[in-house]
Amino acid sequence: MTFLNPWLLLGALGVSLPIIAHMLNRHQVRTTAWAAMRFLNRSVRVRSRQLRLRDILLLILRCLALLLLVLAFSRPTADKPGGAMASLGDYRAGVVIAIDASYSMLHSDGTATRFEKAIEKTGAITRGIPPGNPVTLLLLATDHRVVARNVAFDPDHFADILSNLTATSESLDLDSVPRRLKNLAAELKESRKEIYIITDMQEQDWKPRSAWLHASFKDLARNASTFIIPVGGGSENLAITSLELASGVLRKGTPASYRVTVRNSGDMAARNVKVNGLINNISVDVKIIPFIAPGTSETVLLSLSFRDPGPVRISAELDKDALEADNARRAVAVIRDHVSVLCVEGSSGPSNSSGELIATALRASGTGKTQEDLNVQTVSWVDLPAQDLKTFDVVALADVPDITAELARSLESYVRAGNGLIWFAGDYVKANVWNQRSALEGTPLLPAVLEESESTSDAMGIGRPLDPSLTDHPVCRPLFSLPEDLLSETRFRRLIRVTPSPTSATVLSLAGSDSPVLLEHSLGRGHVFMFTTSAGPAWNNMAVNPVFPMLLQQMVTYLTAREFETPRMVADTLSLSYVDQPDTTDAVFDTPSGETITVPVQEYRDQYVALLESAREPGFYLARVSLQATGMPIAVNVDTRESRVKCMTAEEAARTLQGTGARITPSDAGLSDGVDDIRAPRSFWRFFMLTGLAFFIIESLFAEWLSRKSSRQGRAGNERAEGGKS
Amino acid sequence: MSEHLPQTFYLDPELLQKLGDLELVAREVVEGLRVGSHRSPLRGFSTEFAHHRQYAPGDAIRDIDWRVYGRTDRYYTKLYEAETNFDCHILIDASASMTYGSGKVNKLEYAKFLAASLAYLVLKQRDSVGLSVFDSDVRAYMPPRSAMGIIVQIDRLLRDIIPAPKSTIAKQLHDIALMMKRRSFVILISDLLADVSDIMAGLDHLRFDGHNVVVLHTLDPYEIAFPFKGTWRFEGLEQELPLTTQPERIRDDYLASLGEYMAALRTGCMGVDIDYKVVDTSRPLDGVLTEFFAERATILNGAAVGARL
Repeated sequence: MTFLNPWLLLGALGVSLPIIAHMLNRHQVRTTAWAAMRFLNRSVRVRSRQLRLRDILLLILRCLALLLLVLAFSRPTADKPGGAMASLGDYRAGVVIAIDASYSMLHSDGTATRFEKAIEKTGAITRGIPPGNPVTLLLLATDHRVVARNVAFDPDHFADILSNLTATSESLDLDSVPRRLKNLAAELKESRKEIYIITDMQEQDWKPRSAWLHASFKDLARNASTFIIPVGGGSENLAITSLELASGVLRKGTPASYRVTVRNSGDMAARNVKVNGLINNISVDVKIIPFIAPGTSETVLLSLSFRDPGPVRISAELDKDALEADNARRAVAVIRDHVSVLCVEGSSGPSNSSGELIATALRASGTGKTQEDLNVQTVSWVDLPAQDLKTFDVVALADVPDITAELARSLESYVRAGNGLIWFAGDYVKANVWNQRSALEGTPLLPAVLEESESTSDAMGIGRPLDPSLTDHPVCRPLFSLPEDLLSETRFRRLIRVTPSPTSATVLSLAGSDSPVLLEHSLGRGHVFMFTTSAGPAWNNMAVNPVFPMLLQQMVTYLTAREFETPRMVADTLSLSYVDQPDTTDAVFDTPSGETITVPVQEYRDQYVALLESAREPGFYLARVSLQATGMPIAVNVDTRESRVKCMTAEEAARTLQGTGARITPSDAGLSDGVDDIRAPRSFWRFFMLTGLAFFIIESLFAEWLSRKSSRQGRAGNERAEGGKS
Repeated sequence: MSEHLPQTFYLDPELLQKLGDLELVAREVVEGLRVGSHRSPLRGFSTEFAHHRQYAPGDAIRDIDWRVYGRTDRYYTKLYEAETNFDCHILIDASASMTYGSGKVNKLEYAKFLAASLAYLVLKQRDSVGLSVFDSDVRAYMPPRSAMGIIVQIDRLLRDIIPAPKSTIAKQLHDIALMMKRRSFVILISDLLADVSDIMAGLDHLRFDGHNVVVLHTLDPYEIAFPFKGTWRFEGLEQELPLTTQPERIRDDYLASLGEYMAALRTGCMGVDIDYKVVDTSRPLDGVLTEFFAERATILNGAAVGARL
């Protein structure tokens, strides 16, 4: 038997107090000569002996009670199961059960999903918990959900809770798990604590961070008996990891290509994988990927055609496999009737001026037909203040020498409202003026501070090409399909040196240097692109290369897209932004499952926005400014990092966590033995406490009874004595 | 103040001053040879007129009341009550148990004061007083005398007492009864720590001999109230086994036992016409005596009427 508070055993010395008091009392005997000994004889002597016996009995009761209470406070526990004392003790522990509820737990081996197995394991864990013990149940995901917090365990109620649990569509944020479990365990008042983590132990989460895991779980196991219960299964899984616009201008009647990437995270090759493309839930294209090697991804282009303007829901789906949650990918495209672009010409030169070159590039079509839905207007920079910017979706400034402060503010408002601005450098650009006028109170209008122009030509006068390692920016996607020699033919002889602002991103840069060619940053709801080179042929040969029209058309498509077109992840915050102060105070979000959530509109940095804190399910949400308004769909997808469902083996897990004190119990028998093992130590403090109190009560009642009895006898004796005297 | 008295150890002058007006009155008329202040059932020559009786032949002519004859023409003889003196015998228990005292004065000391005071009172009214001291045996016997000088002898005798344990009291009382030649007023001062039957056997003998007996049961206040607290070891003064106990917890038993004993004693005394008085040694001696004599005077009034018949 061990004691959780062994130092309190010193309190047992207190047992000696009544004994010492008794002994002192006995030793403080005063002696007197006494004449009337005849009245102290016979019955009085017998009575005195009885009293001594009573005293000793009361003393024994008192000492026992004190001793038992001291033992109770010392929290005695039996270390070994069984034994004579085992039936007297009880088991008290605070239990934290954490179930991995990420969507990988929905992977099925054909009989049951990992999550269903986890629920079964939970049942096995809770079977031995005595009713009333504090229990916390946690679902692990991106946002961990506490289902029951420090509640007194009730088997029936807990079974109800378990039967209603479902896995989420989120991925697992393993980093925050140990700390969260430690905090929850700390909330439990019981000194003995148990933590159970039931998870599929995905290799991608657990394997790369073995050192961190080791330290974290060692710390966790110091505070509680920690069990990790793997419920892994097969690793076969196909997932659509991306669905993105590959090419196309997203205008009514135009085709577009969407690239679908399918990853095979299993150990076996996948053959003839069918990818179904849907628009507004109607299948419009089906592609077959003949072979996907294990652990690799393959892409396929879905050809989609948009007949009507407005937002459309685009989906790519796979056939059913072991894990369905990642078999679909969604996107939203806002198909426009037409697009208006204002090209502002800064240089007053010949017909192949920058503005005209931009207009030509935008109008270029693969079929040679004129794009009727594209309106490009070219004006001189001096006429820019007279233009009504609201009638244009994109403004392109080519080699514009400078702008007024008023015009800078107009352009800022124009971009913030959700429109696009493309800025080109050139010989006429006055860097100082631009820097000065562009510097607004918050985010500057341009994504970089301009400096001097510099030559990027070599000794032969040949410019440098673009860096072939293109970034993943949407405007670069068409360039991926270009042959490398075409890309390298684009040469840049001169650039204006810039210092990018912290909020900007480099989209294109020169090969062999970090000099950015194209930068982008967002301003309000719109975006600004900045070329550090000219649109015309003065500084490069871009205009005579396919790169130029491809880039420009993609940029216009990108700039005229709406924020809703950017896919969100499950657990992301969904937002609905307003240009002006809305008439209503609440916005409405319809979830994919049909639930309607009302969200208040808040003012944030001079903008009005309604935020749905966390998108719980994948699919198409519908954001509406009011209940009656037409909604705008928002695509929400699962985080496909979670779709790598391959799990660590129990041996690997045991190796990783060796020495931490955490136990890996993959089998039911192992779990049962482990649980029995840690619950074998039984606490006797309650038994000792109750018995000690019972002794105190018995002692008090006994003393009270003796006192009353003595009083009765005393009254009778007094009456007889009074009678004798009279 | 009796200035002619010799200075004694026990007779507190202030106490005697308080007792000066008290008159010791016997419960029954005691026969006496000497003229004293006590009425005798023998009517004869005396100045104290009792009543008239019709003349009968043989009566002395000088006793005829001629005034009555002048008024009634009948001869009546005047009868007088003769005033006698009486013997008072004080018996003091000087056993070891009498040496117990919770205060400054133990029971024996108190008994000595009491005996001396009573002797003085008896002598002052020209009666005879004797003294017997006993413990396990009769240690001293002084026959009654009426000379005031006897008080000095009593005082000396009391001073010389050496307490000894006793187990019975009847034998001593028997022996004393045999020594007493005349019917006397017997005052027993004792704590009576013996069997009730034994005590009553001795007292019965005294009553059988026609003595008028008064029992002054002398008890220490601690013996009456048993107010001890804590743990005490009681060592018997009469060679009993010692007892260690917590007195406050057996107090009720003790008082019950004491009460039964005193009730038996009182009942026994009442049965043989013995005055029984508990004397608490914590009480002032004069108060006890005053109370005692007041009680006896009350009783005597009724008894005296009967005596004249």
